Amino acid sequence: MQTDRRGFLKITFAGAAALSTMSAGATLSGCASSTPASGMKLLRAEDLELLRALTPAVMKGKIAPGDSAAIEQTLRSFDTLLVDLSEPVVAGVQQAFDVLNFAPTRGLTTGQWSAWPKASLSDAESALGRLRDSGIGLLNAIYAAVIRLIASSYYLVPENAVTTGYPGPPKKVAGAAPSVAPAGKVTP
Amino acid sequence: MRDLSTVTLGSNTDPYNKAAERGWDITDASQLNSPLELEADVVIVGTGAGGGTAAETLSKAGLRVVILEAGPLKTSSQFDMQERAAYRDLYQEGTGRGTKDGGMVILQGRSVGGSTTVNWTTSFRTPPETLKFWAEEMGVSGCSVEEMAPYFAHMEERLSIDAWPQPPNANNAMLQRASEKLGYSWDTIHRNVRGCLNLGYCGLGCPVDAKQSMLVTTIPGALDLEAKLIHRARVVRVLRDGDVVKGVEAEALTPDVRGTTGQKITVRAVRTVLAGGAINTPAILLRSDVPDPHRRVGKRTFLHPTTLTMGIYEESIDPFYGAPQSIYSDHFQWQNVSSGPVGFKLEVPPLQPAFAAGFYSVAGEELTNSMNQLDHTQCMIALMRDGFHEQSQGGAVEINDKGQPVLDYPINGYLLEGVRRAWNVMLEMQFATGAKSARPAHKQATHYRSWKEAKSAVAELEVAPHKATIGSAHVMGGCPMGDDPERSVADAAGKFHQLENLYIMDGSLFPTSVGANPQLSIYGLVYKLSSNLAAQFRA
Repeated sequence: MQTDRRGFLKITFAGAAALSTMSAGATLSGCASSTPASGMKLLRAEDLELLRALTPAVMKGKIAPGDSAAIEQTLRSFDTLLVDLSEPVVAGVQQAFDVLNFAPTRGLTTGQWSAWPKASLSDAESALGRLRDSGIGLLNAIYAAVIRLIASSYYLVPENAVTTGYPGPPKKVAGAAPSVAPAGKVTP
Repeated sequence: MRDLSTVTLGSNTDPYNKAAERGWDITDASQLNSPLELEADVVIVGTGAGGGTAAETLSKAGLRVVILEAGPLKTSSQFDMQERAAYRDLYQEGTGRGTKDGGMVILQGRSVGGSTTVNWTTSFRTPPETLKFWAEEMGVSGCSVEEMAPYFAHMEERLSIDAWPQPPNANNAMLQRASEKLGYSWDTIHRNVRGCLNLGYCGLGCPVDAKQSMLVTTIPGALDLEAKLIHRARVVRVLRDGDVVKGVEAEALTPDVRGTTGQKITVRAVRTVLAGGAINTPAILLRSDVPDPHRRVGKRTFLHPTTLTMGIYEESIDPFYGAPQSIYSDHFQWQNVSSGPVGFKLEVPPLQPAFAAGFYSVAGEELTNSMNQLDHTQCMIALMRDGFHEQSQGGAVEINDKGQPVLDYPINGYLLEGVRRAWNVMLEMQFATGAKSARPAHKQATHYRSWKEAKSAVAELEVAPHKATIGSAHVMGGCPMGDDPERSVADAAGKFHQLENLYIMDGSLFPTSVGANPQLSIYGLVYKLSSNLAAQFRA
């Protein structure tokens, strides 16, 4: 298989299927662990390495590469979000992560041949760009899922949500009457 | 800006606060320590637009009704308008539900009230063009405009459905202004609300019970008439004795509804009504291995595939506040009914931040620059009317080896051309109303600065699944009604063609997409079907 960009783009859906088979091979051969990392409910140690590299690229302008407090907060939010999804969705996300974590498929799909902790911000941006611009639907799908989950994880944290010009929702106070009046037709 | 974060709301409107006083029989299946066996005249699976309507109608007829719901009972006392809890507690798969290849995200409700607990209150009668197509092309009898009118009128009265009398929020007003400017037809949306505070949190569970969802109308109505509600109970299959359906078997779910506790619930009933929605109803039939000689179950499932454009304006839009949908345009919806390019309805969505970030589906500086201007962002959506054209046959619900439903809905070239056409229409509308920049929902697009720039850029974009962002909040079909058993799953009374005593009463009956937000179409049709079923009992 050619590994230059032009050759890579020629990989067809058959190639995409092979990639998922290879990453499944990673799971079966024990290259991918199935146990959550310490302190996490679902994210595995290698997922954390991947997400620590990709989060500052997805959230550029909000999270700097060295801002480990913001990165770790987003990862904890991501882990909670996964718990809140369903078992089939989590399985799909983990398969996507397997493609990006398993060294041969990571290199082929993202151009990131060294491990994720060695990736710079521009390496991570280039990796995301390769997934986004690929002619292979599976890789576009992985891109869509990864950026959506990271961005949602960030903005699901209320203190991040209000950095958008959104002042936040009204407050619920048990037993209180609403402090605003109804609009529109009020039928008894 | 009207800053709603300073507003305080109570929880005194929650009808479930008085459940004990009103003698309501509600069981949380996650708390069962032993198998539960019940008998009923009618068992209803699901509490959404279909199940809720059927439950009240059949209870009013004096029948003993048992209602099963896979989701949890969550009520306004718990609705805190935070996105995380709402997506976790009130949506199928925590909003993670998607089509098989991941090409579309599917927003569907999953709690007592079903999608009516989280929808944006938009209420349309089934369009006349759709009813005519069903009668003439899909073999549906008894559903003409005239025949349906009294059923819609009843449900409009029951759920306080009326034209929204307040000015639209700026997000909706921009759709109106753009339509006026470009000569497109538009109108005011009817909403099922009573005492609405115009806050904008319909999608996260109405905090003040103004939305007349099934959660606060028909389900309480049925409970007052001694219906039994069992929630966190997922129906696995229907029970059969030869060709006769005898009820359902369900499993109790854990408190977070992500797992099972091992307890079984069996409800034996004279009639069984499936109303789990257009993914779960076909899935129950498939798990039950019902006879399906013409292989129709789960086929022709429709989604109103929906795409969007985002425009950024000088003025404040505050798209996260105010009644989410109050203006629509059908200008591009009925130019052809079943030939030519796909028709689409134009509306706008509410944009709370995490939802908006998911809608944007971009990364890096493009995402951050966009999100930093969320309060100045206007979003248009186009809902494509699938199922009318020969090149639009919809998707298919399947079950995987664990019995979980999977919707296989490949997005074909016909729909992708519709996506490109809708982007052009919506971008032109945004620039015509003064947008500083606007972008279509394509991963490789950017914010374009003028209509001219946007138009030539859109022509160059590769509109492919996953590159284009497409989603759905309306799942319809899969058990189409019709007189011909070779082409349909249920007859015009909602009765499953192949077995006795089994009825379907939800959006899965629609033979095509509706061509409008479906809740009132479901209410009206199910009110008709359940009234007829009640009459059968009397006879």
